[in-house]
Amino acid sequence: MFVYCKQMDKTDDIFYIEAVRKGNVAAFSVLVERYQNMVYSLALKLLKKPEEAEEMAQDTFVKAYQKLNTYEGKSKFSTWLYSITYNACISELRKRRIEFKSLDDRQISDQDEQKMHDYYRETKKEDQEKYLNLALSKLPEDDQVLVTLYYYESQSMDEISVITGLTVSNIKVKIHRARKRMYSLLHEMLKEEVYSLL
Amino acid sequence: MNKLDKQFEQMMKGINIDSPSQGFSLKVMERIQAEVVVRKHSLVEDYQPVISKRTWIILFAVFIFLMVYITVSSPETTEIKEPGIWSAISGSLQKINTSGASGMWQSVTGLFASIPAMAYLILTASLALWTLDLFLSRFRHSTSEVQIG
Repeated sequence: MFVYCKQMDKTDDIFYIEAVRKGNVAAFSVLVERYQNMVYSLALKLLKKPEEAEEMAQDTFVKAYQKLNTYEGKSKFSTWLYSITYNACISELRKRRIEFKSLDDRQISDQDEQKMHDYYRETKKEDQEKYLNLALSKLPEDDQVLVTLYYYESQSMDEISVITGLTVSNIKVKIHRARKRMYSLLHEMLKEEVYSLL
Repeated sequence: MNKLDKQFEQMMKGINIDSPSQGFSLKVMERIQAEVVVRKHSLVEDYQPVISKRTWIILFAVFIFLMVYITVSSPETTEIKEPGIWSAISGSLQKINTSGASGMWQSVTGLFASIPAMAYLILTASLALWTLDLFLSRFRHSTSEVQIG
């Protein structure tokens, strides 16, 4: 049934999926524990409100449980799960008729990006995380999802294409622009910090 | 991934992603277990047997009536009027057993031979449906069984 032919390990998602399919509902809690943060995080990036994101994350897991028999194993379980999350959030946003803002064209060159990265590395660890999260939150919602999936979750372009329904070339362009935009935002924020110290 | 991409990835890996409230997993599992209970309940409740009780009663009554009718009218009906599969078989059996066959054997085969082939077909079809009904019933119940906890 599964495309993956490797030996089933107790730590593999497939092991727990099979257990759930055989009637062990409790095995699903392992998958919930494993992916709750990313599912919630994706929902929060798109919906913005923590309560709504949590509700959506719960709905995602319940829906995943209901549809578990339709999961064929052609993609990673996480990819399948994130696609449920993404589509549910997009449907919700469509109901509210919210459209994503597009990135403006203010971008920095590759050299400036490199300089920015070196400067960023010199800032304090806690500041790094604060500014990075802030810069990420300033991106359009769908770009936040793409950046998180690609850079944080290490999903491939193909997998992101499955999740979002966007073409690989579109994803590539969007991620490139989002990264540049984030560096630009970081530059502005860190510059402000330097001025405030002076 | 180029160098800039890799550097950015390192940066991104350093952040902590948002996490849901405490007990999120528990809430999800409660919803799922409620879902399981509802699904199991509805499967059992919604289940309709392939053959209803009423049909079974009618089939049984018809069969009994047929048997009684044949048994009661046996002196006349044992004389085979309509050649059928069973009459042919019993006829050949009678021929084989004529030398050493007892009277009892003859009366039994005579009785069975007098039953029309249609009655056997009804009986076979009913048994087949009953077996199918039993199988489907067990199959549906076993698929709805889930281990909770």
